[in-house]
Amino acid sequence: MKRRLAGSLLLLAAIAGCGAGASQENSGGKELEVLYRVDVTWPHLEKMLGNAKKQYEAAHPGVTIQLTAVQGTPEAYYTKLALLNRSPDSAPDLYYHDTFQVNADVAAGKLAPLDEHLATWPDWDTQFPDSVKAAARGTDGRIYGVPISTDTRGLWYQKEVFAKAGLAVPWQPKTWDDVLTAARTIKQRVPGVVPFSMYSTKIHGEATTMQGFEMLLYGTPGGTLYDDTQQKWVAGGRNFTDALAFVNTIYREELGPRQADAQNPKLADKVNMDWFPAAKLGISLDGAWTAAAWKPTSTKPWPEWTDKIGWAAMPTQNGQEPGSVSMSGGWVMAMSAYTPHKKEAFDFITVATNKENSMAYSVGTGDLAPRRDVAADPAYSADNPSVQFFTELAAVTHYRPAYEAYPKVSAQIQEAMEAITTGSRTPEEATAAYARSLPAAVGGADKVLGP
Amino acid sequence: MTIATAPSPPATQAPSGGPSRRGALRRLLPLVPSFVLLALFLAGPILWSVYVAFTNETLTGSASVNSTFVGLDNFVRMFGDPNFLNSFLLTFVFVIGSAVIGQNTLGLVIALLQRGRGRLLRSVVNGVVIAAWVMPEIVAAACWFSFLAEDGTLNTVLGISQEWLYTAPMVAVILANVWRGTAFSMLVYSAALSEVPADLVEAAAVDGAGPLRRLVHVTLPLIRRSIMANLMLITLQTLASFGLIYALTGGGPGTASQTTPLYMYEQAFRYFEIGYGSAIALVLLVIGALFSLVYLRLIKVEDA
Repeated sequence: MKRRLAGSLLLLAAIAGCGAGASQENSGGKELEVLYRVDVTWPHLEKMLGNAKKQYEAAHPGVTIQLTAVQGTPEAYYTKLALLNRSPDSAPDLYYHDTFQVNADVAAGKLAPLDEHLATWPDWDTQFPDSVKAAARGTDGRIYGVPISTDTRGLWYQKEVFAKAGLAVPWQPKTWDDVLTAARTIKQRVPGVVPFSMYSTKIHGEATTMQGFEMLLYGTPGGTLYDDTQQKWVAGGRNFTDALAFVNTIYREELGPRQADAQNPKLADKVNMDWFPAAKLGISLDGAWTAAAWKPTSTKPWPEWTDKIGWAAMPTQNGQEPGSVSMSGGWVMAMSAYTPHKKEAFDFITVATNKENSMAYSVGTGDLAPRRDVAADPAYSADNPSVQFFTELAAVTHYRPAYEAYPKVSAQIQEAMEAITTGSRTPEEATAAYARSLPAAVGGADKVLGP
Repeated sequence: MTIATAPSPPATQAPSGGPSRRGALRRLLPLVPSFVLLALFLAGPILWSVYVAFTNETLTGSASVNSTFVGLDNFVRMFGDPNFLNSFLLTFVFVIGSAVIGQNTLGLVIALLQRGRGRLLRSVVNGVVIAAWVMPEIVAAACWFSFLAEDGTLNTVLGISQEWLYTAPMVAVILANVWRGTAFSMLVYSAALSEVPADLVEAAAVDGAGPLRRLVHVTLPLIRRSIMANLMLITLQTLASFGLIYALTGGGPGTASQTTPLYMYEQAFRYFEIGYGSAIALVLLVIGALFSLVYLRLIKVEDA
């Protein structure tokens, strides 16, 4: 065991060692290291950054951009980034960052505020709407990242499967029961098809929390994770149990994917690249970016999708106002507090988020464009008829309470979701376990509001 | 141990102690480079991880810059944490099932069966068993995944559809670990068995002892030290096993195969609770030490 422990620490040291010197001067020039995520089925960011590197280096002689890829899931990326950020020597100068992690890193002093630089960049005021600007605003009110994407979430459904099940399209469920009824009908009438798919296990990380749980919780009457007026985290309660009960129904009535698929880290690829095109899935609760899997820019295009796939808003629990619900997050380009070349680093951010690159990223990933000029460009929505619908979901969307403690709270939610998926806990038991673990996650019982 | 037994021969020559100290120094000198290397590369991280086990240190967030000493809080939390207790139980099952029973027994059986067989057969069997051992952990995991997956070899051969990794995750990881680790025990026992004097076994046979009696009363007592040493080594190795389980089941479904090293990884590197993770590592270290003590004790009892 000693060997193992030491081994993992050595590994840590090795990672730190490898990164060291990355941002040091080389032969009189400056070097900026940019950390980003890539996956076989998700090459879009890499393409965009490669392009940005060329543009930037042409305009900034003497500065080299070193692109460092992390291969794997977002969870693997968070871990790698957190480890590299442990030491100023290994920290990348710039990184692609998930907005829910921002406040924890601000509290740790790892991110550089950008306000001063943003004031000199005309695009910031003309192209970024206020709601988008807030994506990476710290609790201190300062801006810590320039949005590269934003998103909303909703239901995607297979029209062929709906036709076989005798369900009318276009489909817009009014309540959770409507969703469950449709799933039950599919199960009954179209055997061999997965009626409903959602992320609900730990392996899917934040997707389980946000696309899965929060899309339900924020659709219950007054459902929220964090009480803004009292500034306390809500410890479970009726809404929490109801949200889990929906997931419980999906799995106990076998309306969802089988356990092996629910636990598969590649569930999203199965859903979008295999099941939907083969008419093996009825409904999927997922993000606005889903259509990117079928577009010509995808690794496995499916041109027929515009006829075969429909989309609908996720209804609120009982159809109460405003009738539907969505969650929004997104990713930003952030700057390390440790980088010695802040001016040059910020310039790279402006290149990576300029109209051309922002457009390439949004079209590739299917994420919603954060910039006004991209959103208004006909080329942006040309081959994606779902864009307008998901953009309009902004009217009913919620943002995560992305405080410093949020990632830990999210981990507890994933725990609860997985317990429901496997059936090891009832919704009531899982809610009770969440309420028990919440004080430790958020730093004290005084920060928790009893149910 | 070397230090304790070393001084005896020079002590007879020089009772004054001066030259004896020089003799001991001469013996210790070759150890210096390895001690320096150990201190340089390992002491720091080990001491640091012991220290953070008593703090609320995290990988990011305010606790990563202002971590505070929390005394035994991490340990109190651990022993009240059903997920830790679950992982602890699974680790125990994994070690007993795959190392103490699986690898140990299978390795001994293969070594016994190989005695007195033809050279060709021995080379083939050895080759096959050792190939599994030489294989990198992650490759072995990939092999077992393709074997046990729903559209994998096992289901194809049996003509059934069964999600083995989800219905019986512990059985799957135990089998995979037995398959991978048996070679080590087999090699240890082959070596030990070759040291068993043939005349002793023959004498027992002449006295009318059957094969089982000869094994239990002659062979096994003669190789008991190898058995204990082997048990200790494979126990420590299995206790720390991470890659195989991580790649096969990821500790799931749920926490059904989440042994303590996986739980530790999850807490430290997924949820960034490096303080709590280090505390778990410390407890694992203590468990490993306890196992070793038991084995060492058993060797002594046998010798007495």
